[in-house]
Amino acid sequence: MTTEFLVPLRVREVEPLSPLLKSFVFEAADGGPVHPAGAGAHLRLLLQNRHQRWKNAYSIVSNPHDRSHLSIIVRKVAQSRGGSAFMHTEVRTGDVLASNPPANLFPIAKTARRHVMVSGGIGVTPFLSYIRAFQSSGAPWELHHFCREDEGALFERLLAPYGGGRIHVHAGQDLSILDASLRSQALGSHLYTCGPGPMMDAVLEKAAGAGWPKGKLHSESFGGEAMGGAPFTAVLMRSGIEVEVGPETTLLDALEAAGVDAPCLCRGGACGQCETAVIEGVPEHRDHYLNEAERASNTSIMTCVSRSKTQRILLDL
Amino acid sequence: MLISGIHSRPKYAGLRVDRSGTHHIILSDTPRDIARMVEGLEPAPGPTEVWTVVGACTVTAAEERGPDGSVVRRAFRSRPLMFDMLGHRLARESMGLRLYAIGEEAFLWDVAALARSFGVDGDEIQLDHAGSERRRVFCVHCRAMTENVRTNIVACVGCGAHLTVRDHFSKRLAAFMGVQADAEVRGDLPPVEEIFR
Repeated sequence: MTTEFLVPLRVREVEPLSPLLKSFVFEAADGGPVHPAGAGAHLRLLLQNRHQRWKNAYSIVSNPHDRSHLSIIVRKVAQSRGGSAFMHTEVRTGDVLASNPPANLFPIAKTARRHVMVSGGIGVTPFLSYIRAFQSSGAPWELHHFCREDEGALFERLLAPYGGGRIHVHAGQDLSILDASLRSQALGSHLYTCGPGPMMDAVLEKAAGAGWPKGKLHSESFGGEAMGGAPFTAVLMRSGIEVEVGPETTLLDALEAAGVDAPCLCRGGACGQCETAVIEGVPEHRDHYLNEAERASNTSIMTCVSRSKTQRILLDL
Repeated sequence: MLISGIHSRPKYAGLRVDRSGTHHIILSDTPRDIARMVEGLEPAPGPTEVWTVVGACTVTAAEERGPDGSVVRRAFRSRPLMFDMLGHRLARESMGLRLYAIGEEAFLWDVAALARSFGVDGDEIQLDHAGSERRRVFCVHCRAMTENVRTNIVACVGCGAHLTVRDHFSKRLAAFMGVQADAEVRGDLPPVEEIFR
């Protein structure tokens, strides 16, 4: 069971950055300072309209040292579960939203002597707070941002206030542009990547090929990519109910829609909070949490991202 | 009167070339048969250097290449000279380096501390003990380091206290902890034995 601790946040400002990106600035509804949020932390907003509820996680982009507000940038995703579309169309200045306090699954490595960030698309958001932290600590850093060719100007503009020279926007370019840089980074560097799953996998693989050890590689996945799949039925042993999981919804969302209080935190397959025992059936693992052996044993499933290979899956819920 | 079962006592499992690295430096506190003591050196794992403290004023050739040119050997007159060179080198090194150190424990952990100050830690460095078991002892009362301790009880070079040499090890200080042995009753000391050979 999760204990929900929600804080009310008032929307102070909504600013469209592009047709698909909107920036939201929140302040504490009680007028006090906002919860502390380290660089890389995210907010999980509880969104609802008359028909539906969403719990969407967004990286906090504001300066971690500034407790006057928290900012996020939301991308309207074409085939989204609806949460980001709700943010784009329904949420206005003055609205009060419920949110979990900031949580951080992607913190800065404090012992790093240099920080190298590689982002793809909207995956740049956690690095905006990173850069603010590096600017106050004086730690050396550089950012390589990859995006579609037609979005190059948008990200150039978005990143311009964060310090030229250290930011490289590679619009419409291939990751191979990173090769030389990964081979020449100073000893003691840490690498962080955030963006679409296949991009992060490729970046981590390139870094490993250049001799970077696992302990200095960090990634944060966004929930949502490769979310859908074949429909299946989750049979909940303890609750004694059956939940249909459609092709466009996640197991966790389906459980929540059915009124099941399933554990969860990041909703991106990273934190392990939603790990649920599988009694029968074969999970299709899509998380970043279980190791190879745990995956192969098929005894647990991360409900936020993983699905079922079998038409029915019996869960200890 | 050693306190056993202390988890901070380092364990060593031998050195094996980590082929996920792109280049390698092996450091030894005395001349050793490195090819035999480091597993996986054949075929050459990429640029590899072997640095050895020879501890003699006869060292002249500071650098020489092996028969196939892949392994560079450097000899040093002393540890301070090696550590100076290592610091200079690490300041200019790039990611992909793997460090290996073999020797007495004080040497191993001095290498580890220097490496850590350049951000090299975890999987990027391996240590293996060889040679004497003599210890560097940190006096918890006056913070002085007493080197080359072979006995269970030692007089601290800093404050003169008779210290019990514990198994409690500090990786940060690269030393074992020494605690006054006769703190309760002055002069009440257990028999002194040579136990770190």
